[in-house]
Amino acid sequence: MSTATSTATAATATDADGDAILTVRGVRRAFGGIVAVDVERLDIRRGAITAIIGPNGAGKTTLFNLLTGFDRPDAGAWALEGRALEGLPPHRIARLGMVRTFQLTRSLGRLTVLENMAVAAQTQPGERLERALLRWSWRAEERRVAERARELLDRFGIAHMAREQAGTLSGGQRKLLEMARALMTEPRIVMLDEPTAGVNPALTQSLLDHMRALNEQGMTIVFVEHDMDVVMGISDRVVVLAEGRVLTEGRPEEVVADERVIEAYLGRARAPAETPAEDGDA
Amino acid sequence: MEFDVIFGNAARAGLGPTAAIFALAAVGLNLHFGYGGLLNFGQVGFMMLGAYGAAVVVATWGGSLWLGIPFGLALCVVFALALGAPTLRLRSDYFAITTIAAAEILRLLIRSSPATDVTGGPFGLQTIANSFYALNFLPDGRHGLGTFSFSSNQLWVMLVAWVLVLLCSALVLALIRSPWGRVLRAIREDEDAVRSIGKNVVAYKLQALVIGGVIGGLAGVVEALQQSGVGSENFEPQVTFFAWAALILGGMATTAGPVVGAILFWFLREGVESFIRELSTQSWLPDLLADFLDGSEGAISVTFMGVGLIALMALRPQGILGRGRDLHLGT
Ligand SMILES: Nc1ncnc2c1ncn2[C@@H]1O[C@H](COP(=O)(O)OP(=O)(O)OP(=O)(O)O)[C@@H](O)[C@H]1O
Ligand SMILES: [Mg+2]
Repeated sequence: MSTATSTATAATATDADGDAILTVRGVRRAFGGIVAVDVERLDIRRGAITAIIGPNGAGKTTLFNLLTGFDRPDAGAWALEGRALEGLPPHRIARLGMVRTFQLTRSLGRLTVLENMAVAAQTQPGERLERALLRWSWRAEERRVAERARELLDRFGIAHMAREQAGTLSGGQRKLLEMARALMTEPRIVMLDEPTAGVNPALTQSLLDHMRALNEQGMTIVFVEHDMDVVMGISDRVVVLAEGRVLTEGRPEEVVADERVIEAYLGRARAPAETPAEDGDA
Repeated sequence: MEFDVIFGNAARAGLGPTAAIFALAAVGLNLHFGYGGLLNFGQVGFMMLGAYGAAVVVATWGGSLWLGIPFGLALCVVFALALGAPTLRLRSDYFAITTIAAAEILRLLIRSSPATDVTGGPFGLQTIANSFYALNFLPDGRHGLGTFSFSSNQLWVMLVAWVLVLLCSALVLALIRSPWGRVLRAIREDEDAVRSIGKNVVAYKLQALVIGGVIGGLAGVVEALQQSGVGSENFEPQVTFFAWAALILGGMATTAGPVVGAILFWFLREGVESFIRELSTQSWLPDLLADFLDGSEGAISVTFMGVGLIALMALRPQGILGRGRDLHLGT
């Protein structure tokens, strides 16, 4: 861990060193008395798969919420490829190429699976009200969007559900759909909050394969994970959060050997593999 | 019992201008809530602005009705923006409360004494629609059978009103089938999910509020044309709730639902009222009961509609045209 300026508010996150796609400086968020996130410095490497681990309540989801604009920090700065993101609303951050998924899946139940995908396209001019009635002006793009959506659905093994309403999918299928939908936006970096929670082992395996394949195509992936086997198997870098702070950061095998990491987990008498079951949000 | 009279009355209400006015209001609400998930309980506010906007231009400022109507609709746009911009960022219940309050405050302002010079206050405004009826090309006299008959001018309003209902329904359908409508429907399902894929949720909700509000404003314009005047007593909060009842009855998020719902609502309401009125004149009825029924037919029919809606919620909550299984898929 390198030392960052402790005056978090004065720091800017645009002084990225090396090959960081996302730089975080002094981001802090407290709920009442609880400091949920207090990250002095965190750099996410371009093109890497970074796992964020930490006990329940460590602040992983809160950190995702802050970085993607869904929550506002009390202090701090962060930047995507040198572009400062503080104060931007979630949709602007998503359009800049950082797209997140949610710990509790959020499928658009009364839209079809195909519509769930199509709505995530960033290229459809017919989404603008003034073009909506000019069918000829968006029909061609609509075909391209549907084609791309089908390709992705195919890759995630849910193409046969394309015409079904998303609300009829199983919990695991919804997780896949949500990830596919995030990819539909053609992001530069995806932030996946517990992508494997509540997904059966077979689906988990294919999900991990997708992540690896995407990564090989150059996508930067950050994901929250409780299962250490998954973490060890897939990630290039591991960030350990505990009580809102970055405890340590490094290669997987370095991190698991770190005394402080073992302490952070055992100190709370919880094994990392003890994943909380996800509630189906039907 | 003269059932032909009862049926004639009911049919006249179901196809008359009032049903068309409520159909328009419900088509607007359908865009708001059925497709966009916006809980607008102040649709009557839009109707009021459409009606008064047109009437004030003609009766107070001596302008043309054809300027007054767009002026009324422009007021609806302003009202939607003023209502939505501060509240659509907040949780949906804040928006709902604001709409109901704003519409009623608007009504009280319109009928207040300082506003009398412009709005006519409690007396309203009259004779505003002459240039509208001047365009009536239908033959004079009464048209129809028995109680199911209309004057030439009534028929003219009806014709225009139902054409507007068709046009607005077609507009909503086209919007909903466009990528714009897909985003709107997605917002109804889960706002945060839609934010996470890069859509400006507040902008879409504002746009939907404006369009549905202007359709509501058109309903108000038709009301002003039908009465050739405006009065604040026609814009009490219950108007909004009757429009909601029509929408629920016909089925949310369907194209024909709000229209079928409005027709049925007025058909049944007038049918029951007419039936009770007929019943109270029957000689076999005990005097006490006849006295009770006489004059309370309005209250009885509204009660009937209320109980009917509750029964509908229990038996067919998606409305007459709604798709049942959709109900289980919402988030
Ligand atoms: N909206 C909120 N209001 C109050 N406290 C909150 C809020 N959101 C999170 N917290 C608290 O902040 C801390 C961090 O929560 P967070 O959900 O970020 O943890 P997490 O690491 O994602 O945990 P998990 O592994 O269980 O998902 C917890 O103590 C939590 O109770
Ligand atoms: Mg979490």
